[in-house]
Amino acid sequence: MTADHAAAVEQPKKRVRHEGPKKHIIAYIFSLILTILAFAVVITGEVRASFVYAMLVLMACVQVFIQMAFWMHMKDRGHTFPIIGILSGVVIVFTMIIMAVYWTWW
Amino acid sequence: MSGHSHAEGVLPHEPEKATLEGRNKVLGFWLFLGGETVLFGTLFSVFIALRDQVNGGPTASELFSLPVVAAATLILLTSSLTSVFAIQAMHRNQPRTLVNWLLVTILLGLGFLGLEIYEFVEYAHEGHTFAASAFSTSFYSLVGFHGGHVAFGILWISLLIWQVLRRGLTVVTAPKVYVAGLYWHFIDVVWVFIFTVVYLMGKVG
Repeated sequence: MTADHAAAVEQPKKRVRHEGPKKHIIAYIFSLILTILAFAVVITGEVRASFVYAMLVLMACVQVFIQMAFWMHMKDRGHTFPIIGILSGVVIVFTMIIMAVYWTWW
Repeated sequence: MSGHSHAEGVLPHEPEKATLEGRNKVLGFWLFLGGETVLFGTLFSVFIALRDQVNGGPTASELFSLPVVAAATLILLTSSLTSVFAIQAMHRNQPRTLVNWLLVTILLGLGFLGLEIYEFVEYAHEGHTFAASAFSTSFYSLVGFHGGHVAFGILWISLLIWQVLRRGLTVVTAPKVYVAGLYWHFIDVVWVFIFTVVYLMGKVG
């Protein structure tokens, strides 16, 4: 028992490989591109407003997905409960947003 | 300390997950972020519902200046990346590098906050004060609440830097740093929706 406990806390004998910064920099570049695209769509904006809205929401969601997966480690193992926790919040938010849009703008 | 110290003072890989307390702290923080999502969601839905009720004051497309918003966005996005570097330094057990990246993060956070204060002062001069209209109240509630989170994050990370310098990187301090990193990313994630829904959609009209 004591040996097990010690093993759980001690540094593993084999060298642990640490992840490099590469994929985080890629996530940064993707976020940057999506941000620039979102601003560009609005500044050049000759397109229909409803189309611009849909584009903007889509790009924001993709960017948030990238950041949460890589920077907040949600793609890593053992994140089932964190995902359930944050998704239960997102479900409530979606209900409220749809309600606000439906009552006011339809 | 003795309850958490381990063989030869070697910090385990991913020290934030090395103890049950640390793992519970991370899980509890995710549940808190779920609640924060709901909080910001209510403010977003109020803003969406009221954004055209300008009461004779300036409208969103007259008011917002996109260059300032773009600069603030770039600063906050970069600070999110530097906090990733801080956590990676923690995983390599380099407290000095960790502290340096956290310092860069709070400096960028202060830059963001400065831009936001400048922006709010400008708007107030143009008659867009808190009580001017339903649009202005919901705008300041949402964006100001986010700014308040940035200010709190700066304070929190500053205290953590102080604690890491004093006590070093242990299985007790590591979960705190990790959780503060999650908080900072969450602030950036909320800002993505703010610049999209408030500023860019406001410009479109």
